Amino acid sequence: MPFISQFHRQSDYNYFSSTTPIVIDNGASYFRIGWAGETDPRVIFRNIVQRPRHKATGETVTIVGDHDPALLKYFDCTRSGPRSAFDSNVVYQFEIMEYILDFGFDRLGANGSQIDHPILITECVCNPVQSRCKMAELLFETYGVPSVAFGVDAAFSYKYNQRHGICDKDGLAICPGFTTTHVIPFIDGEPVYKGCCRTNIGGFHVTDYLKQLLSLKYPHHMARFTWEKVEDLKMEHCYIAPDYTSEARLFQKGTKEAEDKTRCWQLPWVPPPVEEPPSEEEIARKAAIKERQGQRLREMAEAKRSSRINELENQLRGMEFLLQQLEQVEEAEIPSFLKDTGYVSKQEIESSLVKVTLSLRKAKGEPKAEQAEVEEKSDSSMNEKYPLVNIPDNMLTPEQIKEKRRQLFLKTTSDGRQRAKQKRQEEELERERKNQLDEEKRLENPELYLEQMRVKYKELSEKVEQRKRLKANGNHSNGNNVPGGVGRGERLNAAQRERMRLLTTAAFDRGKGEDTFGAKDEDWQLYKLMSKDNDDDDDEGLDEDEVELAQISSRLQEIDPAFVPKLDVGPSQPAPEIPRFRPLTKEDFQILLGVERFRCPEILFHPNLVGIDQAGLDEMAGVSIRRLSTKDQDLEERLTSSILMTGGSCLYPGMSERLEAGIRMIRPCGSPIKVVRALDPILDAWRGASTYAAALQFPQQTFSRMDYYEKGEDWLRRYQFCYTL
Amino acid sequence: MEPEVIKAELVLPTHLSFKRMQMYEKYPKGQARGRHWKHLKQILQAENFQNYPPDEPNYVNIESPPSMHPCKRICDLTGFEAPYFDPRTNLRYASADVFKLVRSLPNEYVQRYLALRNAAVVLK
Repeated sequence: MPFISQFHRQSDYNYFSSTTPIVIDNGASYFRIGWAGETDPRVIFRNIVQRPRHKATGETVTIVGDHDPALLKYFDCTRSGPRSAFDSNVVYQFEIMEYILDFGFDRLGANGSQIDHPILITECVCNPVQSRCKMAELLFETYGVPSVAFGVDAAFSYKYNQRHGICDKDGLAICPGFTTTHVIPFIDGEPVYKGCCRTNIGGFHVTDYLKQLLSLKYPHHMARFTWEKVEDLKMEHCYIAPDYTSEARLFQKGTKEAEDKTRCWQLPWVPPPVEEPPSEEEIARKAAIKERQGQRLREMAEAKRSSRINELENQLRGMEFLLQQLEQVEEAEIPSFLKDTGYVSKQEIESSLVKVTLSLRKAKGEPKAEQAEVEEKSDSSMNEKYPLVNIPDNMLTPEQIKEKRRQLFLKTTSDGRQRAKQKRQEEELERERKNQLDEEKRLENPELYLEQMRVKYKELSEKVEQRKRLKANGNHSNGNNVPGGVGRGERLNAAQRERMRLLTTAAFDRGKGEDTFGAKDEDWQLYKLMSKDNDDDDDEGLDEDEVELAQISSRLQEIDPAFVPKLDVGPSQPAPEIPRFRPLTKEDFQILLGVERFRCPEILFHPNLVGIDQAGLDEMAGVSIRRLSTKDQDLEERLTSSILMTGGSCLYPGMSERLEAGIRMIRPCGSPIKVVRALDPILDAWRGASTYAAALQFPQQTFSRMDYYEKGEDWLRRYQFCYTL
Repeated sequence: MEPEVIKAELVLPTHLSFKRMQMYEKYPKGQARGRHWKHLKQILQAENFQNYPPDEPNYVNIESPPSMHPCKRICDLTGFEAPYFDPRTNLRYASADVFKLVRSLPNEYVQRYLALRNAAVVLK
């Protein structure tokens, strides 16, 4: 529905004489004000007030009604939500009411020193006298109004329609409003409040219900569902199904009708830019670049290597030359000769020569077999170094015995190292063999192999997870785990309990008063005991399983294209399925309104759906007739044959049929039922009031300030507007 | 104030000629405003409706009685007819697929669905 507020400042205030009443329809949703006798109110706006702070100046200002949200960006609206003067349908906040009246009169063009016109203002049915008093006071005191009249909006609407022949002088007015719904019987043109009936459900509740449902169904788009937007959606798409259950069944079966009835709201969405797969040229170009880079690196490495080789060779030649020179020099002069070069003795030169030769060989990249030979050679050379080992003890001197023991020790260690190496080699061979077997098995039957692996993986991962969970949470884990960590007291598992027991016995078992824990060495064995208890029995088994798990998962990652390793999620619920990442599509940004279209207005007929335990619209009609307690069958028939629907919430398509069916159910068979909708359910109340205010006898219905102060509150309680003039 | 705000006349002017007493006089700044307004419940209590004859219609009298029709049971999640009821979460559901959804909801959503029906446990 379009934005129906209008609040241009009217400029013809002064043309109206001071007997022309001003008519105000003070509704919980909209506030309408205008001159009596006209067909349309001059100013209409939403009955809410906001008091935000202006961002630049910091002062708090008042904004009445709904405005263009673009202008509101200059104000800080975080702390000031829209506030209404109403609590249900009764005015209770008169400060806000004053702001609203200010705004209304201001836009009407008021510019005198007081409002000099009588005022007709609407109120709810059986308005509590306090609210009435305060309203009268406000009007008299602050605005200087000469006289005031109160009337019920539904009654005005009924009378207006009666005048236009839509309904008779006896009938029922059904008025679903913003926060409440009323059913008022009319007899001889006057409302009979004894038979009136009110349920606290209205358009506000329908919008709220729709908003909650959509927010729960589409939590990602929750920010989009503002109250105003949802109200627009409701007005555009909601309808009342003639029979809720059969309509719901249509949707449940997923029939084509249901598809047609589902409306779709597409949120603005921009698809992410699609990356084109690189073309052939791109690929070739990139490959060429990589090739060139690789070539360059290789060249650099080559250059480095050759320069190093050259360096080493130079060193070698230098040292050989030195050695040659040394041979020519005499023994005594060696130290002085060598002082220049930096070597101290011949052995040093020789050993560094050997080292340089080795590194040269390595730089030239000779095969490892030579190295192994070298090692073996060193081994065998070492064997020669244990000459004394094999000689029996009694033939050696004590020194030699000591020597022998040392050599024995060295031999056993080197033997041990060799054995270990052998074992490693054997294990490697074994593993190779196993892998080979595995590969063969895989190649001959890949599917089966994959399945087996997957099954094993699942079992193992479950076992591991369960053990972890037991360890962390004790035995209290059900499906809906609340992640909260370990509990206290009785929820500790066996190992932790044991630990606590040991600690407490250690702490309290000592002598009287003195804490001598730790004086003896054996005391600290306690901790060993505790940690042993805690770790040993669980960890080993766990390690094995975990190792195997890791192996299998790595294997699966290699060979299974669809495998995703289950990450360590800790003590939480196992997800039923690992969500696969997929790009967001257009459908994710669509909001579907299917069942909600008729589920939300259904609450007008069944308030139990939202937990309000009162009668729905159709039942209220029956209650109202019953409350009248007339024995006159004829009157009842007349009442039901002229049922008027008025009020903003009766605009749903399908409402009159549903209401008729509902009322037929509770009336005796064959009674005439006619349900009509008012000419303009929203504006009719104001129009009716305006026609009244224009009538000649209107001033008799008002009360002035004098009346109010003389007669007091009690009289005001009994004040009733007479609708037939 | 920005020019477009002034042009749109968004803000209520503080001084209005037709008022006898302006807002800033009535509610001086700094004082707690509005906390003394009685809510509907308090207004109704203060009315003392029991002192007046019960025949006369008053605000409380005209309220509708609870519904006589059997309660309509619809699924909390989908809105279809729901003959089943989950004892753990107290939600109504229509079929086995919906049940799966119900059980996989986090607690916050469960409470919000229940609050729609006014069946949530409110701790005060």
